Amino acid sequence: MTVASWLGLLATLLWTAVAVAWSRRAARGPHGEAWRRFFRHPTATAGIAVLVFFATVAVCAPLLAPYRPSQQLDIVALQNRPPSWLHPLGTDLYSRDVWSRLLYGAQVSLGIGTLGMAVAVMLGGLVGTVAGYFRGWTDAVLMRLVDVGLSVPRIFLVLLAIALWDRLGTGPLILLLGFTGWFATSRLVRAEVLSLRERPFTDAARTAGARPWRIIIRHVLPNAAAPLIVSAALGIGHMMLLEAGLSFLGVGVQPPMPSWGNMIADGRDQLTTALWTSLFPGLAIAITVMALNAIGDAARDALDPRADYLFEP
Amino acid sequence: MESLGMIHLPRTPAVLALALLTAAACSRRGSCRDEYCGSLVIAATRSATTLLPPLSEAAVERDIFDQIFLRLADFTVGGSTIGDSGFVPQLARSWEWNDPLTLTFHLDPRAHWQDGPPVTAADVQFTFESYTDTAVAAGDLTALAHIASVTATDSLTAVFKFRHSYPEAFFDATFHLRILPAHLLRDVPRGEWRTAAFGRAPIGDGPYRFLRWTPGESVELTADSTFYLGRPHLQRLIWRFASDVNVAITQLVAGEADAIEVLVGPANIGRAQAAAHLKLYPYPGVTYTFLRFNLRANGDSLRPNPLFADAAVRRALVMATDRERMLQSATAGHAKVPPGPMPQQWSWLWVPELAPPPYDTTQAAGLLTARGWRDSNRDGIRDRAGRRLSFHVAVPTSPLRRQYARLLQEQLRAVGVELVIDEMDDPAMAERLSAGTFDAALESWQTDPTPTSGVPQIWSKGGGANYGGYANPAFDRAVATAANAQTLSAARAAWVAAFTTLAQDAPAIMLYALDNVAAVDSRVTDVQLRPDSWMALVRNWRIPPDRLNERDRVGH
Amino acid sequence: MTAWLLRRLGAALAIVFAVVSFSFVAIHLAPGTPFLPEQGRPINPAAVARLRDEFGLGRPLPEQYVRYLGALARGHLGESFSQRRPVAEAIATALPNTAVLAGAALLIDFLLGIAIGVFQAARARRSSDVALTNATLFLYSLPIFWLGLVLLLVFGQWLHWFPVGGVTDPVLYPNLPLWGKVLDRLRHLALPALTMGLVGAAGTARFQRAALLEALGQDYVRTARAKGLRESAVLVRHALRDALLPVITLLGLALPFLLTGAVLVEAVFAWPGLGKLAADAIAARDYPLVLATTLLASVAVVMGSLLADLFAVLADPRVRMVT
Repeated sequence: MTVASWLGLLATLLWTAVAVAWSRRAARGPHGEAWRRFFRHPTATAGIAVLVFFATVAVCAPLLAPYRPSQQLDIVALQNRPPSWLHPLGTDLYSRDVWSRLLYGAQVSLGIGTLGMAVAVMLGGLVGTVAGYFRGWTDAVLMRLVDVGLSVPRIFLVLLAIALWDRLGTGPLILLLGFTGWFATSRLVRAEVLSLRERPFTDAARTAGARPWRIIIRHVLPNAAAPLIVSAALGIGHMMLLEAGLSFLGVGVQPPMPSWGNMIADGRDQLTTALWTSLFPGLAIAITVMALNAIGDAARDALDPRADYLFEP
Repeated sequence: MESLGMIHLPRTPAVLALALLTAAACSRRGSCRDEYCGSLVIAATRSATTLLPPLSEAAVERDIFDQIFLRLADFTVGGSTIGDSGFVPQLARSWEWNDPLTLTFHLDPRAHWQDGPPVTAADVQFTFESYTDTAVAAGDLTALAHIASVTATDSLTAVFKFRHSYPEAFFDATFHLRILPAHLLRDVPRGEWRTAAFGRAPIGDGPYRFLRWTPGESVELTADSTFYLGRPHLQRLIWRFASDVNVAITQLVAGEADAIEVLVGPANIGRAQAAAHLKLYPYPGVTYTFLRFNLRANGDSLRPNPLFADAAVRRALVMATDRERMLQSATAGHAKVPPGPMPQQWSWLWVPELAPPPYDTTQAAGLLTARGWRDSNRDGIRDRAGRRLSFHVAVPTSPLRRQYARLLQEQLRAVGVELVIDEMDDPAMAERLSAGTFDAALESWQTDPTPTSGVPQIWSKGGGANYGGYANPAFDRAVATAANAQTLSAARAAWVAAFTTLAQDAPAIMLYALDNVAAVDSRVTDVQLRPDSWMALVRNWRIPPDRLNERDRVGH
Repeated sequence: MTAWLLRRLGAALAIVFAVVSFSFVAIHLAPGTPFLPEQGRPINPAAVARLRDEFGLGRPLPEQYVRYLGALARGHLGESFSQRRPVAEAIATALPNTAVLAGAALLIDFLLGIAIGVFQAARARRSSDVALTNATLFLYSLPIFWLGLVLLLVFGQWLHWFPVGGVTDPVLYPNLPLWGKVLDRLRHLALPALTMGLVGAAGTARFQRAALLEALGQDYVRTARAKGLRESAVLVRHALRDALLPVITLLGLALPFLLTGAVLVEAVFAWPGLGKLAADAIAARDYPLVLATTLLASVAVVMGSLLADLFAVLADPRVRMVT
């Protein structure tokens, strides 16, 4: 690793510290009640710091990484080298720099987690809102669909769906994760909408002659946002873990694109001889998911202290 | 409430359990202390499904049933497949050619089935009829198509009639058939053999008897002390099924298994070398692996492939790959770059006249440029008339081939060629290959001791597995000459000619022919491995009495 | 009550039916055919065609679907293509293995999870609580297969405390006395069960701690405290009793988690269970086996959640019976 990339790492760390300090200061501002409750959570600050760090790293990977993630430096002489100043996390079976791959892997893993969750939250939000607002047979049909989705272990569902394509691009993979991940969110949103539609302000809008979709968009959704945000924060972690599991079974992100999951899978054969190739991506996933869970917990306390959240595994 | 501290629980329950378990083992210590003791646990990477020879196709199933069922004559290490000089008597005590189309076997009168009755010529006839019965739906039968009939003239005499005379007739008559007990199988409808109970509890005539099968876990055989060709030394053979090579090697290194057929890759070989109790045994491999180009358009067998119909492009891609270095990286040198479609077991074909095409990126780049493939938009990938020099390669689940796909990708990138990896599971890959819906594929083939059956299937015009549509009459002629050669040197000359043609046409990048490395616990001696069936000679392996451990004595 | 139960059972049946239908379509549309030999061996196209024909795979998909449902209604799961034996038999060998693994994991999950949760609630906001909160959060965030690999490496390969895979020791097991057999199975069970149990326990502990802290804030607990009961007595006799209920209802919901874990953990430890069976069946295009395993998994999940609801109703009459 060159001096420039060490400096880049230092700059990222500095920026992380600044960003965290800045967001903590926001908690002292006039609208800081929710933020104050958020930061009262013991691990919230650490969670934000980890997330800012990895998000920055993901965005700036091309600037920070000393090598291309798929660059094979010397397939014979530099295979499975232990960590050193030049390669702080060592090299892997293909003589690729693990640090560079970890940085680019952040892009892929966080990206898949976030986008997959975005799909799931949008779908779950839509289904939940429709079911909760229109009730009746719409509700019955949609919720039975959700029951079906929740009654197959998700990995069975995903493995089956993946077998349908003999190769799966990253886009379809994200959609697949999203399409199999919205069931619990929709239940949550439905419950929220069911209670919101009986509130005085929706009643008022209805008597004023507003159309249902307008009521949903203007009055119901903004008030149902809190559980959505929390479930998204917690759900990204689940998406990342699932992607890692799929990569481990050999059906995740296609090479040479690095994801933390397929880095672990690639390093599995070398567990005893080159532990670093799978240890560091494993820790990266654990720390990131931990940060997301901590943020989710804190966000729940901040936004919606009374809610219970259950998630599909 | 009293504190729990009063009870002193052991710190490590596992150690306690281990101690108890050892005690348990000792309490049942067997008395076996002589020449014929020992348990050998073989770590297998796939599990067996049936042990009825015409239907068992997985390598592990063949390993197991080779100990239960005998052939008429056995193949010898390094033997020739032409004529019968490479064979030793097994079920047949002797044989003779009555005329060029008639071969008579005389069975050994000592041979008997493990449930009592002698092995007779009627069993041989029954075996041939059931192997070739379409109702059985056995695997590949092309080799048996040359045999017209098998008849029993008396209880110990079986006569084979061939459709035509050819040098490897004896090989085909003996190598592919394991003689089956007619008295046990005659009443089982052929259409039900797939699921026959016999396949899960076989009774044979070989050195080992079937003992037990725990589905998904293990198969255990026990030595037949009355085996007429000599009592096996190892008392128990246990195949233990792991889901993949990793788990298998972990069991081996931890001492929970004693032998493995092949250690793939430097990491695994390193792990086994580091374990003091293991001894490594290199032996010639039976597979070869290559990147096949589809010469026809992806999904349209009538149109030529826009990239690979051009032999110059194919040759350029061959030269652009540093096969020697990839081999160092992926197998730590336990393989060779094959100059043609050949595994190491055809050792007589590894001659200096055949050499792999050189690694020469300059020449490769020159060839591509000369054919009009230039990087006109400076994106790092060559293009011609708006088409990028980019192709997808289908890669199955094999870890070594997945590794090679990634290595190839980077090497081709250096000469401005984009290789996109499509990893898929094996049935999906098979469908793509047979439907021709691929650009290129990483294939690996297991071979017989002779090239005569496999090579035309994979590379000749009209061959059942010639998925890329390669066709060159000169190649096909040379293959036909080789198949009819009466001597090994004549066959060699014809094969050299065929493979030289193939190398010039470059329908594939020949990547590696593995040099298998088996690992066996060092307490086992007299280990000899045979390429066509690594454990074929296991009845001669033994554990000297002074090296027997507790596990070896259990169960006697 | 009976009507409620019947309605729930009806819904459960409909759900299982839908799952089977989805799986049927998905696996039949997946590219590739069953009955292929090991990769690298020549295919005998005649044999493959014959077998496809024998199992009616050439017929139109709707017809195959109806036939399958008909057989299913009569209780026939069919014959496994890849295992060459009845599907019921294949399931019968794998199911006990997964049941034992899942049972042991559940035991660890709840015993350890509840214990940690109670301990944390008793020391809420002290340093040991904070440390445990972080520890459980970390465990809860681990990829389960990675934890399995690490445990395998440390306790199996480095320390040699436990065997590195499989259900029994193939050499010793057949000749062990009964208690030796039990011990051998327990030794093999330890690492995979711990892998699944630890991740689960982390989740349970987080839930239990929260439930207990909420219960501790209730009026009756304050009353008990005011009566001068010791804090530990308040916690165990009053708060825990109430806070256990929501945790117990988690039990039924733990099944999908356990089955997902089983697919990954069984792959790490060569454990011949349902998860491995299902993954292998998908990879081999073993249609009947794929369908049977998804059927079984969905029945288990549906029944689990039904039982959890039933338990909640029985334990607390105030819980409304909603479908």
